[in-house]
Parts: sequence; C-alpha cells; structure tokens
Amino acid sequence: MVQVVETFGRYVEKWSGTSPARARQLLKTGWEAQNLKFRFTPDKRLFPADQHLARMMMDTMLKPLKDPEHSVLVSVFTPCELIQELGLYPYNVESFSCYLSASKAERAFLQTAEDSGLSETLCSYHKTFIGAAKSGVLPKPRCIVYTTLACDANLLTFKELAELYGVPCFAIDIPAGRTAENVAYVAGQMRDLAVFLEKNTGKKIDENRLRERMKRSERTLATYDAFQKARADKYVPTDLVSPLYSGMTQNILLGTKEEEAYVKRLLSGLKNAEPSKGKRIYWMHMIPFWSDAVKKELLFRESAQIVGCELSQVADPTQHSDDPYEDMALRLVYHSLNGSITRRIDAGIRHAKETKADGVVWFNHWGCKHTLGGSQIAKKRFEAAGLPTLILDGDGCDRSHGGEGQTATRLGAFLEMLNE
Amino acid sequence: MGNVCREDVTLSKTYYVCKYTPIELLKAFGGECENLNTMPEGFDYADQIAHPNICGFGKSVLEAVLAGGDQVKELVLVNCCDTIRSVYDLLEDSGQMDFLYMVDMLHGGNVCSRERVAAQLKDLAKKYGEYKGRSFDPAAFQKAFEPQERILKPHIAVLGARMGEELFEMTKASMPLPVVNETCVNNRSVAWTCQGVYSGGDGKGVDREEEITSRSETSVRGEADIRGETGTHIEAGAVDFDALMDWYAGELLGQIPCMRMLDNTGRRQLYQDPSLKGIIYHTVKFCDFYSFEYSEIKSHTDVPLLKIESDYTVQSSGQLLTRLEAFAESLSLNPHVAEEIWKAQRSENAPSQSSAADGAACSGENRTGQSGALYAGADGSGQSAAFHAGADGSGQFNTLHAGTHSGKGRHMGKGYFAGIDSGSTSTDVVILNKKKEMVAGIILPTGAGAAIGAERALEQALNEAKLVREDIDAVVTTGYGRTAIQAGDRSITEITCHARGAHFLEPRVRTVVDIGGQDSKVIRLDEDGSVKNFVMNDKCAAGTGRFLEMMARTMEMSLDEIGKAGLSYDEDITISSMCTVFAESEVVSLIAQNKKPDDIVHGLNKAVAAKTAALVKRVGGEEAYMMTGGVAQNRGLVKTLEERLGTRLIISDKAQLCGALGAALFAADMGVYPSE
Repeated sequence: MVQVVETFGRYVEKWSGTSPARARQLLKTGWEAQNLKFRFTPDKRLFPADQHLARMMMDTMLKPLKDPEHSVLVSVFTPCELIQELGLYPYNVESFSCYLSASKAERAFLQTAEDSGLSETLCSYHKTFIGAAKSGVLPKPRCIVYTTLACDANLLTFKELAELYGVPCFAIDIPAGRTAENVAYVAGQMRDLAVFLEKNTGKKIDENRLRERMKRSERTLATYDAFQKARADKYVPTDLVSPLYSGMTQNILLGTKEEEAYVKRLLSGLKNAEPSKGKRIYWMHMIPFWSDAVKKELLFRESAQIVGCELSQVADPTQHSDDPYEDMALRLVYHSLNGSITRRIDAGIRHAKETKADGVVWFNHWGCKHTLGGSQIAKKRFEAAGLPTLILDGDGCDRSHGGEGQTATRLGAFLEMLNE
Repeated sequence: MGNVCREDVTLSKTYYVCKYTPIELLKAFGGECENLNTMPEGFDYADQIAHPNICGFGKSVLEAVLAGGDQVKELVLVNCCDTIRSVYDLLEDSGQMDFLYMVDMLHGGNVCSRERVAAQLKDLAKKYGEYKGRSFDPAAFQKAFEPQERILKPHIAVLGARMGEELFEMTKASMPLPVVNETCVNNRSVAWTCQGVYSGGDGKGVDREEEITSRSETSVRGEADIRGETGTHIEAGAVDFDALMDWYAGELLGQIPCMRMLDNTGRRQLYQDPSLKGIIYHTVKFCDFYSFEYSEIKSHTDVPLLKIESDYTVQSSGQLLTRLEAFAESLSLNPHVAEEIWKAQRSENAPSQSSAADGAACSGENRTGQSGALYAGADGSGQSAAFHAGADGSGQFNTLHAGTHSGKGRHMGKGYFAGIDSGSTSTDVVILNKKKEMVAGIILPTGAGAAIGAERALEQALNEAKLVREDIDAVVTTGYGRTAIQAGDRSITEITCHARGAHFLEPRVRTVVDIGGQDSKVIRLDEDGSVKNFVMNDKCAAGTGRFLEMMARTMEMSLDEIGKAGLSYDEDITISSMCTVFAESEVVSLIAQNKKPDDIVHGLNKAVAAKTAALVKRVGGEEAYMMTGGVAQNRGLVKTLEERLGTRLIISDKAQLCGALGAALFAADMGVYPSE
C-alpha cells in the first residue's frame, strides 16, 4: 500500500509541473478510490462512528475537486453555517494539505511556494496549499471566507489565493477581548458575510432555517462535550487521523445533520467500549499523522492512545445566543485560541482533565509561532495542574521538518515516564 | 506589577515596537517613549523562556527585557503578529515588567474597527494614566505629533520586516546612495489634523477644557484622501476625550498599512516611488508576513532588488555584508542607477570634482557591447560612473566601492595582476599578465587564518609564475576572508568576481551556480557579464559543500569517492530532511538498513540539487549555465543537478579558480599604462 501511495504521490507531483489538469484528475481518482476503500473495507479496529468519519472527511475533500463552483475555501475556524445554508461546500486549507501530504504529494507544492519567494518558515499547511494552487492543481473556488483567528498565516494566505484565483474574498476580524461590544462587532461582520454570500449566490438566507441550524450546532457541540466526558473511563481504539478529522468536522461541518449524527453515534458507541486501558494522552494542536515514530507509540495501541484533540474542542459550549449572528460571534470571540495563551491552556487543562488524561502532548508544529511561543508557559501550567506534559517539536504536514529520531526518543521517553 | 517607586515611574522610559502604538497618547500622560530596536549578540535569555523558532525580533525584545537589567520596565506592545502576542504572554508570565500593555489593534480600517480601537485607546489611557499618576495633557498630546517628510531625491529603500539599528547602519555604509528605512515602525505617519477646542476629560474621567490650536498647513495636505473611510474629520468646535480618541484611532489605522492589515494595498506607494533606485528587502527569520510582499514585488518591479534575511542578531552580519556589498557593486554597474550614483558623488565632492572627474580613466577587458568602460555616463562623456576617479584624482574605485582599502596611487610596473579568493575551505590565487593570460593558478586549503592562507597561496602562485611580489601591479581580494587580507589593493565580493570570471571564461553564460564550502549562490549575468541578480542560501549548511563533506564523513568516504558514487544507482532514495543534522540521522538510518552507498549518495545529490534548483528558480535562471566552485568537481552531483534543471552545466577546467580569476581581472582594470 505504501508503495502505491508513493507512486501515486510521485505522479501527482510530476504532473503538477507540466499538466496540472492531469494531476488534478489523478488526485480526484485516487481520493475516490480511497473513499471506496473506506466504504467497503473500513478499518474495523475503529468504532463505527469513526469509520463513518473517514468517509465524511473524504467526501468533504472531494467536493472542491468535483464541484469547485459550489465550494468555498475557508480558514479552519470560520463558522460555516451561512455557507452550508446556501448550499455551498466549505473546505479548509489545513485538511486539504493533510490529504495532499497523506498522498505523499506535498513536497513539490511546498517547493513551488518557496520558489515564488514565500518563507521557508511559513506554516506548511498553508504553504502546501498555496503551492498546489499556484501549480494549477487546485480548482478555483467560488469564493473565499476567512477569519483573523487564529494565526498570522490566515492574514496572508487567503488574500494571496483570492488574488491568484480572482475570486471574491471576505475577512472576519476578531478582537481578542471578551466583551459585549466585541461580540456585537463580530456579529455585524457575520451579517455582512450573509449579504456577501447572498450576493455571490443570488440566493436568500432563510433566518428560521439558519436559527435551526445554529441550534443543531449547539446540540452537536454539547453532544461532543458529553462524549469526551463519558469516554473518560473507556477505551476507544484510535488511529492518528480520527482525532484530527473530528477537529476539522467540528468546525467546517458544524451545523450539518451528518455532523450531528456522527457525534450522536460516537456517544452511543461508548456503551460497547471496554474499560479504559493504557495511558491516555490529550493532544494539543495538529497531529503528525504521517510520522512512523508517533504511529509506533500511539496508533491503535492499548498501551497508550490519544483521547482528545484540542482542535475539536475550541468553542465554549456555554456561550450561546438566540440571534444566529450573535451566536456565531460568541463562538469566535470566546474561542479558546482567541487572545492570550492562557485561555488556550486553561481550555486544554479543563478538557484533558474531563477525559482523565494521564499526560498532554503540546505539539509544536513548525511555523505555528503562537503555539511555539506559548509552549514553555503551557508546560509549566499543565504540569502545575497535575498533567505531565511533553513539548514535541515537529511538523504536521511537511516530512522534511521531521526529525524522526528525535520524535521517537522524546515520545518514547515521555510514555516510559508516565508508566513509571 | 511590583511595587514601583513613584519617582522612578515618572522618569522611566516607555518602550514600544510598532507604528500603531499610540505614542502621542503616552506622551500626553508624561511618558518618554523609545522604539525598542537593538540587535542582541545572541538569545541566551530569550531561549530560556521562548522557543528558538519564533521571530528573531520577538526574541530580541525578550532579550532586551531579560538581559537589560532594569532598563526596559515599561512596554506597550501591539498584537502585531503571533510572535509579539507570545512575547506579551511570556513577559506577563515573567512578572518582570512594571507596566505591560498590549493594544488589540484591529485588522480592518472601517468605522466599526475604528470604534473598537478607540475603546482600546481609552482603556490604555486609563491604565497608563493611573500607572504614571498623571492626567491627560491635551497640549502635550498635540505637541507629540511629529510630521514626517518623505525623501524625494534618488535613494535606496529598506523595505519589509523591521531592521535592527546595527544592520541598518551597516546597510547605509555599504550603499552608494542615501538609504531610507521604510520598514515597519520606521514609516510611521500619524499627523495632527484635528481642529477644535478640547473640552473633555483627563483621560481618567475628570472634565476640563483647553484649547487645541487649529491644524497646521503642512498636516492638512490630502490627509482625507489618504485616510479614506477610516478617518474622522473633526471640525473646529468642542472636542471631548471620546471624540478625540475616535479621531486618533482613525489616524493610527490610516497610516501606510503594515502587512498584518486586511487591506494593505496602500503599501504600494513604498515601492512605486520614482526616486527609488534600489530596494533592499529585509525579512526576519521566522517572520512570514513580508515574504508575501517580497514575492509580489519581485514579480512586478524593475527597480534593482536585493533580499536579505537576518535573525536579528549581530552575528549574521558577515554573510549579509557580502550580499549588501555585492548589491552595491551591481548598482554601480547598472546604467540606470550608476548615473544617479555618479551625480550624488559628484555633488558630495563638489569642490574638486570637475578636475577629478575629467581625469577619470576606465579600462577593463573589452566586453561585448561595451566600449572599454563598465558604464559610460548618460551624457556620453565617457566618464564611468562605476569606475570614475575619486575626488583626489588617484584613480581609485569609488562607486564600485565595497570594502575598499585606502586608495594608494598605482605604480604600474611589469603588468602582472593577482586575484585572491579566500574561501572558507580553500584559498585560490590567479595571476594574469597584461594580456589577461593566466600565468599562475593555485588552490590551497585556507587553514586557520585567511591572511596567512592568502600569503602562502600568493607565494606559491608567484613561484609558479616565476615572479616576485614586486612584479604584481595590483591585487584584488575576494571571498569571505577578503577584508582580512592586507596584501590586497582592494576587495570585491565573490558575487561580482564570479560573474566576471565566468563571463571571461565563457561569454554566453547567463547563470552561474557556485556551490562553495560555506554557502551556495546562483548569479544571473547580463550579456556584459554584470551581475543582474543573485541569491544565496541561508545560514543553514544544507545544500552546500559542507553538507556533502559531513555526509561523506558519515559514510566514511572521501570527497573524491562521494563525487564518483551516485553516478549510477539502483534504488531511487529520497532524503526528506532538509536540515543537515536530521539528514545525517537519515543517512545513518539508511546505512543501518543496508542500503547501497551509491543509492544513498544519489539521494544526497538529489537533496543538494533540489536546494540548488530552488535558488536557480528564485533568481530566474537562464541558459547557458556554468557551475563553479569546488563542488563542480563532484560528477554525481553535477549529473543530478543537470537532470533537475533539464540542461547541461558548463564546467570549466578553471571552475574552482573562477572567483580568483574575476578578482584578477578587476585588478587588471586598475592598471593604466601610458601607452593606453
């Protein structure tokens, strides 16, 4: 299988330089084949909900390749209910780049971006995506919507892509302070976004349906929260991508019926789960799913497994409003990655404790300056809260920033330490 | 905040880092403000509390606070970027600051953004006023606005991410035209445009009334147009503190935007200025904002452009100096710029200029399309802007002036010229006769010191040519050790020398790939052999000769062996790590997997070729390609690089002597004989 993926990736890379349409077709065919595999021979080691999750994510990534006219490129934390309401498909940079990396096609795209003058230290998710766009492999989306939350790369990537594709672009500016005025400021921008999307599609948003969708989002977040608390005493076999998938779907698919169905299935699936076993790791930030060193320690291991990922628990489930625009604004302003690192750490400690984690991995994804900058404070505070913490340097997408030997030693030693 | 003595608070300085900082507001509360912009020697303290891979400027702020004793105790930051947000988090956590505040500056410029920023200003005013124990002084507020005038005469601009003071001084000293710092905080442009009578408050809630004089004529010009929808126009009449802060927020947001702003199209005025003759685009390691603008500028400007990157320490200046000097040299050889340089220098040397300039002499080998001079002035007088005589008429190079030793009058004797290329690995010497024929070419290991190595190599070259030191009329030094060598009459960067040497060896060459021991560079030449553009690798050793040396050591092979291995291979191995250290671990692990040495070496060659090809792409490489430097002898790498570039590389038998040859050709230019 590895050989097939490598050959596939090599051809996507090869053709991206000379025949981008051909590379795109190959990418689509390859991913469709993978989706069929998920459908007919899913990984039985996963719970049924997570088997289904793999298909949901693959479908989401295939949409922009199959139907770019109805696809909207978004930043990872953009509220997508308005986009969904107008029958458009959101997809984000991080997920798409993960899939390119999983297809072993990321290197040429990274190089294309760097050749254009972009910094080697730019987040590799963004750089891979920009490179793929510049290579002509990724089709033009209908429009782009992004937020200033939660990283500098958002401020750069989406403007660049909007110019490259020549498509309309809408930015949501998120202030840090948790005040009523700031919520009102963001709610105003969400209303402007509705107008932008309506103008772009020629369709009208039905406020009642939107309100209903927001209620669904609220229920989905609450159910996921309940699942995380309920899994505290259970063993849920997991790979390295399912926690990432839920981190993505809890953002871009939040508000859809399928995401609600997924989290309900997750929760109900717990009744068949075995009691907790092995060491439980709560993971902060992205997961380097491609790393053999991480796979060795955490892929379907009873001795240690990931029990939660920060990215699927970024919203504050207690903050809601009946006004759908204000509801979305509350999610953004009270987002755990908005503002000082303290908010993010506090949310991490709360979620790790709720799921009875034995330890925390703070993954310093190369290029993510806020994660890197706060890592030492995080270690100090997590440990003060009784959660042993490993600061793990690496890259979630670009293998060349790996350092597998170091990853193996650090993660191995950390797990040994937890077992002592 | 700890217990702070009231007197200390009144006297102490408040530091800032960003142009969006409301400096005038701080001064209205009696604050003395200073831009925190020094480059430290290293990040010993910062690395103790922060991750090494955050922006170097952020670390320099941490270093200034942590290593500076009690110097930096008050700091007003703006949420400029993720690193500065982290700096705030870290300093807050450290508990070492007396006053620390971060302005939550919005990214948009509309009315709503202005209102949110105004709210921030009022919050800062309240907290800073309480800290300083002072009230808002409207007269001091108005007085604090300092109009900024833009330079109109030909100049070079430093654009991009902020540049440390030390590096800016070095840049200024290297350039042949005035240099303006247009980076970050340095293009702050907040003007006083408010009319009206101040009627409200000390910023802490106490009302009082005081007159604010009407705006000056100079500050009125076109501000409304520039500010767009951000600005609030305040007519004469009563102005309370809230209205004043609302106006002020608009002024702050309406400046030439930085890259963090959602709409930064206003930045184009920085690089579309007709008086701009060169751009030095500066980026800071681990700051990503400005690489996007660089990418845009490089595809849309005809202005000569140099990109440099610093890590905000003074340590990296050596490698940057070479780039700056090479850029200055290339400007001197650019007909569009050289005339301006010549005029600027003539204006500087006005009293004795005319006679000196009249006595200017140009030589140099006849290059295609050139009539002896590297550049003939636009007036067709034949005076060379690049090589015109100095004010003292001594004939020294003035404009192509990098690191010039003091200009001694040249006594022309037997007509032999030497070029010394002092590299990190080898020192090369070429001696030419008057006909520019090579009479000696020597390659020796540099050894412990550049000066001793150069003396030794020169001695050997003299022996080879059966000459003595007195037979040499002029010596030009190049390479990393060039300025340390006393034997030279002047020094020129290896960029310019390699270009000159390559053009001499093969005039159709347009791209030179030079992989040396310490760095690799790609140089674009024009049809005259002048440098059109160049790029160098960053400080990392990946992609350099040193990388191959390290890998050869790991594989227990000599450089000769590694050069032959990899020419044929069975398995197409990819070394994915770009970092030299990680790549070495990968090689160790491949050896442990019993992979064939030829296959591993081929993988290494691919890694170096990929790095080099990226440089070629960045510089806009064109046929014909020549490879110079010691690594040109590595046949396996040459083959892989040719495959990667899809072209043949010209490898001269004098490839390793190319820099020294260029230097010797420049030395020969210095020879002016009565018969000529």
